[in-house]
Amino acid sequence: MQFKGVEIRKLSETMWEIPREGGMRVPGLIFASEAMMGDILRDEAVRQVMNVAHLPGILKYSIGMPDIHWGYGFPIGGVAAMDAREGVVSPGGVGYDINCGVRLLRSDLTVDALRPKLRELVAALHREVPSGVGSTGFVRLTAREEEKVLTEGSRWAASRGFASAEDVAFTESGGRLPGADPDAVSAVAKKRGSNQLGTLGSGNHFLEIDEVAEVFDDAAARAFGLFPGQATVLIHSGSRGLGYQVCDDYLVTMADYMRKNRIDLPDRQLACAHIRSPEGKQYLSALAAAGNYAFTNRQLLAHQARETFMRFLGMGPNDLGMRLVYDCGHNNAKFEEHEVDGEKRRVLVHRKGATRCFPAGSEDIPGAYRHVGQPVLIPGDMGNASYVLAGSPEAMRLSFGSTCHGAGRRMSRTQARNSVRGKSIVQEMERRGVIVVSASHKTLAEEIPEAYKDVSEVVGVVHDAGIASRVAKLRPVAVVKG
Amino acid sequence: MVEVRGVDLPDLFSSCVLALFSLLVDRRTVREAEVRSAEIAGDTEEEQLFFLLREAFLLFAAHRFLVRNAHVTILGKQVTLTVRGEPLDTSRHPVHREIKAVTAHAMAVERAPEGFLARFLVDV
Repeated sequence: MQFKGVEIRKLSETMWEIPREGGMRVPGLIFASEAMMGDILRDEAVRQVMNVAHLPGILKYSIGMPDIHWGYGFPIGGVAAMDAREGVVSPGGVGYDINCGVRLLRSDLTVDALRPKLRELVAALHREVPSGVGSTGFVRLTAREEEKVLTEGSRWAASRGFASAEDVAFTESGGRLPGADPDAVSAVAKKRGSNQLGTLGSGNHFLEIDEVAEVFDDAAARAFGLFPGQATVLIHSGSRGLGYQVCDDYLVTMADYMRKNRIDLPDRQLACAHIRSPEGKQYLSALAAAGNYAFTNRQLLAHQARETFMRFLGMGPNDLGMRLVYDCGHNNAKFEEHEVDGEKRRVLVHRKGATRCFPAGSEDIPGAYRHVGQPVLIPGDMGNASYVLAGSPEAMRLSFGSTCHGAGRRMSRTQARNSVRGKSIVQEMERRGVIVVSASHKTLAEEIPEAYKDVSEVVGVVHDAGIASRVAKLRPVAVVKG
Repeated sequence: MVEVRGVDLPDLFSSCVLALFSLLVDRRTVREAEVRSAEIAGDTEEEQLFFLLREAFLLFAAHRFLVRNAHVTILGKQVTLTVRGEPLDTSRHPVHREIKAVTAHAMAVERAPEGFLARFLVDV
């Protein structure tokens, strides 16, 4: 297989190597089936995997997941681990929506029991959970409170009664990334974040009610509290304007750093700074702060969803049983220990549209899940399916403990909009058995199921590669789109 | 990718600002009630445009201010933006889409047969 004159080597049915050439410091590695490689090679994402391989301090491989597609600088669905001493950190390797991620709430209800009230329930969720452009949250943050959010993350939400101790425990990193410094976040970023906490946003962000349609791994599903027919809530959102601004601010800082330090890279959107430089350290402090904002944002969204369920159904928390399964980010850079060339090394793992997926036995996952592996939440499109996976041991050997993050776009937003001109997406989704509400017809048009790759195929690749295993399939029944 | 034409650089830059706000709202619904201004500096025309659009976008993203009209003056590396508009009122200004940021990706300012041409990309 070739990409613009570069021979892509097939390593297995799910892995493809891009050999080193030019200034690449490591080879590229793409997880995909042969059928998916056709689509992937048509995109510029392969070139971006090769560009990322030029970054100083990158280890082993520049990695692409099966949901890979073009992004700014780094591809979306990309993983790059940098040596913590010699390597660089790049805001483009994280993305604008810092610590954007997914959280899954389970319940003691079945979708069959909810079905007669589903339409009114989703309308209530749309009313109560702020979504769409320009929406504002139910919490107004003073400057002092916002600093606490940035430092404490989900623990701030617990201190204000918006989270339980269990919510905090079942959030990646305990809902609080270490090293956060509010002073590293610009005043403008703080201003953008001051009224957006607890808002879904728009674009591909959503809150949906799903049914557990299939269980693949009984033991893991039991550990995660999942059973067939169960009603669950899946929330996808991030750090809102605050995170976007942190990325934007530091792209400029890093471009200056590169000029001063004469770092030459094939794409200026790969702007970076050495991890141990003042600029690198400052970005990492701001990144952690924005990540904590994202955890808190999803916690407040979950709180609003729970409250709405209870009010609407007239149920108490014990009858509803709406508890957090897990919350994981998929746009981040985290210090972790990984084996490189036979020795344990401290590395900074950039995951842009990729999810951490630590296997059973890892001390970084909640005790209740330690025997089955970290829950990994993979949202698909609004018409078909999402998946719950568990981290597998091969991920530590092959992908720095990382896997895919979603279906991955197949069509650009414009292509998607043009393809549905004159059609009612809401009616089409109803025919598929999914109730959809959205503040914006344009957003809905951009988010049609056909705009995305087949999430089952994406998940099939990471399962077969042994980096994350299937636990359960979720089927959307009601969707609130931002 | 947004493509904008202008008869000269100030005209091109002010048209880029208007194009950016047209991505957000129907500018015809925005009243010219208030004036805001900003100054930026850049070594190249692309850099000037990038910093100008970032600054203009923050009027909306950070201050919820919408632009109806824009005027740009350029003196060497310095660019001054003066805009007229009003604060966002969601009942009158439905916002088309959420823009995360103006990116530097593939940003270009070029001489065209009848003036100047610029290209820029926003992250949505």
